[in-house]
Amino acid sequence: MIKKDLIIKNQLGLHARASNKLATLSSKFNSNVEIIYNDEKVDAKNMMDILLLSIGLHDTFTLKIEGSDEKKAFESIVKLVDNFFGEGK
Amino acid sequence: MFILSGIPVSPGIAIGYAYILAHALGEIEPYSIPKNKVTHEIKRFNNSVRNLHLELVHLKNELKKNKMIEYGSFIDIQLSILKDPKISEDPKKIIKDTLTNAEWALKIQMDEIINKFNKINNTYIKERKNDVYQVCENLIKYLIGHQSHKVSNDRNQIIVAHDISPSDALKFKNTNNLAFITDIGGTTSHTAILAKSINIPSVVGTQNAKQLINHDDLLIVDGGHGCILVNPPNNVIEEYKIKQNLYEIESKKLLSLQNIPSRTIDKTAINLFVNIEDTNNLSPVIENNTEGVGLFRTEFIFMDQHKMLDENEQFVIYKNLTKSLPNKTLIIRTLDSGGDKIIEHMPHTNQNPALGLRAIRFCLAEPDVFITQIKALLRAAYYGNIQILIPMLSSTNELRQVKLLIQRAKDILSSERKKYNPKTLIGGMIEVPAAAIDIDSFANELDFLSIGTNDLIQYTLAVDRTDDAVSHLYDSSHPALLKLIKGVIDSGTKAGIEVSLCGEMAGDPRLTKLLIGLGLRNFSMHPSSLLKVKKMILESNASKLKYKANKILRSHQKLEIDNLINNLND
Repeated sequence: MIKKDLIIKNQLGLHARASNKLATLSSKFNSNVEIIYNDEKVDAKNMMDILLLSIGLHDTFTLKIEGSDEKKAFESIVKLVDNFFGEGK
Repeated sequence: MFILSGIPVSPGIAIGYAYILAHALGEIEPYSIPKNKVTHEIKRFNNSVRNLHLELVHLKNELKKNKMIEYGSFIDIQLSILKDPKISEDPKKIIKDTLTNAEWALKIQMDEIINKFNKINNTYIKERKNDVYQVCENLIKYLIGHQSHKVSNDRNQIIVAHDISPSDALKFKNTNNLAFITDIGGTTSHTAILAKSINIPSVVGTQNAKQLINHDDLLIVDGGHGCILVNPPNNVIEEYKIKQNLYEIESKKLLSLQNIPSRTIDKTAINLFVNIEDTNNLSPVIENNTEGVGLFRTEFIFMDQHKMLDENEQFVIYKNLTKSLPNKTLIIRTLDSGGDKIIEHMPHTNQNPALGLRAIRFCLAEPDVFITQIKALLRAAYYGNIQILIPMLSSTNELRQVKLLIQRAKDILSSERKKYNPKTLIGGMIEVPAAAIDIDSFANELDFLSIGTNDLIQYTLAVDRTDDAVSHLYDSSHPALLKLIKGVIDSGTKAGIEVSLCGEMAGDPRLTKLLIGLGLRNFSMHPSSLLKVKKMILESNASKLKYKANKILRSHQKLEIDNLINNLND
C-alpha cells in the first residue's frame, strides 16, 4: 500500500477537466485508488466523486493506492498533478 | 409587447417565432413496476446509457469535422459524468430496491447529486451541475422514447430554452434557426461559444425568458444589445427589419474592406496593427492585411504558464511567431507584470499596485528575468522583424539602465556564440505622464514610440476606471490627454522615428479621424475593431483633419470638444 499527501498546484484545482483526467488515469490501473480529503474518502476512478470534493489550489489531499500495480499508478498520478494536469496552470 | 434583457453574446438581429425547448425531466412521473419486470427496467436503463454514450461520441467526431473542437472538452466531461457509477450504476440499485421506473430512479439520483453540487462554494465546480443535469435530461429522452429535441424545419424559429446542450445546439446548426435565447449562461457558456462560431444572434442569462415567452410568440432578438422584444407591434417589426438590413449590409461592407489598402482620401497611408496576448489565433493579422503585431503583451504567456519561462522556451515562442507571420512587423513588449496582472512566483506590491513595482521597474529590480527575455527576443529577431518595446518608462535614467542590460544580453549571447540580431529596434511605451511631457529626451534615445493610452489616461486624470465611483471621470478626449498625445506624435516625427498608439483609443472608430488629425499614422488594436477603424480611415482627409484637430486642441470645454469630434465624423 502506498499512502502519500499531494498538493494541488493548478490554478483551478480539481475542476471538471482535471477530475476527468485523474479518473481516467486511475481507471487504467488494477489497484484501488482512493483520495482522502477533509475526512472524506472517495474512489479516484469516479470523476464526480473527485469533483464533489471541491479540492482547490494549494489544498493537500491524501492519495492511497493498493494493488498489484500500485507503484506505477502512484508515479503516473504524481506526474499528472505535478504537470498541472497538462493544462500548464 | 414586452421586452426582456439578458447578456449579449453574439451580435445580429433575428425576427422569428419562439420555439420553446421543453424539459424532458418535467414530463416524467413515478410508477411502480412488478418484481419480474425489474430486469427489463434495468435493461431499458442500460440501453439509454449506451445510446447517449454513442450520441456523445458521434457528436465529438462531428465537432472535429466542423472544426469546433473547443466543444470537445465539454463533451469529454459529459462522457465522464455518464460513465461515473453515480449515474450509470446507482439508479439501477434504486430501481431494484424501490421497484420504481427507470426515469424516476434516475431523477431521484440526479436530485441527490445536484444537492451535493449546490452545497459547494466553488462557483466553477458548482456550475458543473448543469452538465449533470444535461446528461440526465438526455438519458430521460432516450428512456421516454423521443430522442433529442425534434427540430422543425418549416419556418424561421428562435430557440428559447433553459439551457441548450451541445448536442442540441449542433442539431440546430443547419436548420432555419435564427437565434438562441437561454435563461442561464454567460459570455463563456456553451451556447455563447457555439452561437458566435456559427454567427447566430444570441442572448443568454435572461433568467425567466422561458417562463414568460409562449410557444409561437413573435420575437425580435437583438444579439448586440442583449434584448428580446416579445410580440412587438407591426411598426416596431418594420423598424427592426430595416435595422436588420442595415446590420447585414454593414457587416458585408466591412468585410469587403479587408483587402483595400488602408489610406486616406488624400493618399496618406495609415498603418494598422493588431494587439495580441498569445500566439493561438493570428489569422486576423493576415486576413485583414495588417502591417503586423503592434503590441504582443508577453506577460500573458507567463500568466498562462504560471511560471517564468526560460530563455529557450521564450525563444521558441517568439521564433514561431516570425514563422507564422513572415514579412510582418512584430512589436513585442517586455514583461508588464504587476498592477492588475500578477504572475505567480513573483513578488508584487499590494497597495496602489498601479504606482508600484511593475513593468520595467520590476524588470530592473530583477535583471535576470529581464535579461532572459531580452536574450530570447534578440535571438528570435534574427529570424524576422521583431522589435522590442519597453513598458512604463518614466525617466531617461531608467532608459539608460535598460540599454546597459540590453548590451549585457548581447555580450552574453556573443560569448555563448548564439545567433542574434544586434540591430534589433528598441522602442518605448509612453504611458507615464512624465515621459509624455519630457518626450524629446526619450524620442532622441529610442528607435520608436508607442503610446499606451489606457495607462496614460489613468495616470494623467488620476482615475481608476474600474472604480464605479469615479469611472465617469475617465475621459479619452480630455484636453490634457489630447495635448500629451499630440506632443508625443510631434516629438517622434521631429526625431524621425515611428509613433504608434496601442491603447483602446486606437480601436475606437469615433476617435480615428481625430487621431489622424493629430498626426498619428500607426494604429494597433484588438482585431475586432480593425475594419470599423479602417472604414473611418478610408473616409478621412488627412490634411483637412490636421486643421480641424488643431481647433479641437485649442478647446477646453468637454461639451465643445465632443461636438467638434462629432463634426469630424459627420
